[in-house]
Amino acid sequence: MNIFMKLFKKRETLLAFFIAVSVVVIASFSDNFLSYDNITNILKSFTVTGIFSIGVLLVIISGGMDVSFTAIAQVTQYIVVYVLLNFLTGNIYIAFVLAIASGIVMGLLNGILIYHYKMPAIIITIATQNMFYGIMYVITRGKLLYEVPSFFWEFADAKIFAVINQNGAFTGLSVVTVLWFVMALIFAIILRYTILGRSVYLIGCSQTAAERVGVNIRNTILFIYGVAGAIAAVGSIVHVSIVQTVIPNSIVGQEMQVIAAVVLGGASISGGKGSVLGTVLGVLLFAILSNSLTLLRISSYWYNVFIGSIIIGSVTINALREIRQRKHIVRVNVAE
Amino acid sequence: MPKMSGFARFLRRVRAGQQFSLIITLVLVFIFMSVANGRKFVSFYNMAAMAYQLPVIGLLAIGMMISELSGGINLSIIANANLNGIVIYLVLDLLTGGKMAEASLPFIAAAVIAGFLTSVVVGLFNGLMITKLNIPAILVTLGSMTLLQGVNLVLTKGYTISGFPARLIFIGNGSVAGVPAPIILFAIVIVITNFILNRSSFGLKLYMAGANPRASKFSSVDVTRTIILEYILSACFASLTSLVMIGQMNSVKANYAESYLLVAVLASFLGGVNPNGGFGKLSGMVLAVVILQLISTGLNLMRLDPFMITAMWGAIIIIILVVRETAAFIINKINQQKAV
Repeated sequence: MNIFMKLFKKRETLLAFFIAVSVVVIASFSDNFLSYDNITNILKSFTVTGIFSIGVLLVIISGGMDVSFTAIAQVTQYIVVYVLLNFLTGNIYIAFVLAIASGIVMGLLNGILIYHYKMPAIIITIATQNMFYGIMYVITRGKLLYEVPSFFWEFADAKIFAVINQNGAFTGLSVVTVLWFVMALIFAIILRYTILGRSVYLIGCSQTAAERVGVNIRNTILFIYGVAGAIAAVGSIVHVSIVQTVIPNSIVGQEMQVIAAVVLGGASISGGKGSVLGTVLGVLLFAILSNSLTLLRISSYWYNVFIGSIIIGSVTINALREIRQRKHIVRVNVAE
Repeated sequence: MPKMSGFARFLRRVRAGQQFSLIITLVLVFIFMSVANGRKFVSFYNMAAMAYQLPVIGLLAIGMMISELSGGINLSIIANANLNGIVIYLVLDLLTGGKMAEASLPFIAAAVIAGFLTSVVVGLFNGLMITKLNIPAILVTLGSMTLLQGVNLVLTKGYTISGFPARLIFIGNGSVAGVPAPIILFAIVIVITNFILNRSSFGLKLYMAGANPRASKFSSVDVTRTIILEYILSACFASLTSLVMIGQMNSVKANYAESYLLVAVLASFLGGVNPNGGFGKLSGMVLAVVILQLISTGLNLMRLDPFMITAMWGAIIIIILVVRETAAFIINKINQQKAV
């Protein structure tokens, strides 16, 4: 009973419940929804958001904020594809290595500025977002790169658990989705079971306390923003693999959607709270609901109304829970 | 003591205030842009053009500053301004049956009031969510920004809507005895805001609530009420901005001026507003807005790529940050040595 109540109070359970309810409701409206094709497609199209959300989660747990990750991804994508087109003949692994290097450099710049100048992370990352993005646009003149090396789309096309559907085409779980889940697993383990991961939570709760316990604040912050940059870079390679073209303004502007998914997943913007499982479930709920907009043929004009309502709804649920918990604490004190 | 001349007294007051460095920056930027652009920059034509452009960013920036005084932020201010303009269009369209350009004065007044009330409702919503539910302002306004952007898009279907009555356009585009109307409006607004922030009890309570909410609660300041009023006031600036924007663009659209969000944050940052709340002067804000307008116009005249200007806004924040911190560090060192 006790374990049951504990599970019941968890954010993840609530999300899983919402997901189950929406799946049942949407499936009763649309026959197509529960087909293997549609499910794997939803997962694939939200893989980039899913990967980005892991990096944002890391930053939000530490009490920071990062809106520059889309610009980091955009710049990285352009650099990597440009280098692979003009200077190197490579493969997907070289693309990932190059991307991660570029992402870490830009992420570390964020980290250094945030640690040394003690300004709100949102102001710094708004600044660096504009800087990265603006400089890239000036240098590239906004030119699209159409002919992406073939190994990119081969990567996004690879499937496991493939079956042949009614139309005779292969359908299955995309490798990029597997990459997302593997990354989620790795970061879940890091956050939960390593000292580094625990100190990310500790910094988010109280920097002073973290310092007294002996956490190296500087290195941890540099780690957080460096890794967030690297994750954004990995997401950008997955993005170009799926889209197969480098469009210089296709990623910037998505940051609110990713942050919304992370908040929906139960991370607290004031830091110290959040889990990878919650974030993955948050992205999944998001994916299901926005797919249902398409299946139910609701005009795409409503998309932002929908995202905004989700943000406001989920922060309200969070807030109401916190208020109830606080009342509970007061009651205990009175009883004593 | 000999009587000081007015100018000397003015100089002393300026040097004693925090705005000294901003005034120096203003002069330096002006000299740099004049040298870089020559006659084009100091011409009467260019000054008039700046006087038309400045109020939009000025009003947005002051609205942003007000929300930051309690340690919050109002990301929804631009979406709110666009919604205000769209509501004005919808009401005018409804009242005149599609012939918006021929609307009479009472109809225009009704539409403007409807827009204003919409903004107040948005501000009230933000304020209630922030105070009653205790949600960080950045999350609430991020949510309301996205929601309003969506509502704007649904209401306009993405179209640009033009053909507003001349009387309404006058606010953003007209001139009184050669002086641009929007700058007159801006001046009046500054005087009123100065009164609200620096002379009224609400202003005092607002600064107190920002500096130390707990202490002000114990000094019988109704913090909740103050912050709700603060967000309504911030939304009023969105409403004013919308009036000026309708005149300048001669139209409304779901996503006008979205890039100004960064500039508004940058202006409050440059103007010395503390993002943690409690500190920030209107005079600093006005100076910061003028500096940014000089930079933006100057860079435009130099025919820089607009994306280069975007990059510059980001770079300017970081440069200010580094210079400010380094200066503070050096001054600290010197003081320590003196103490030894």
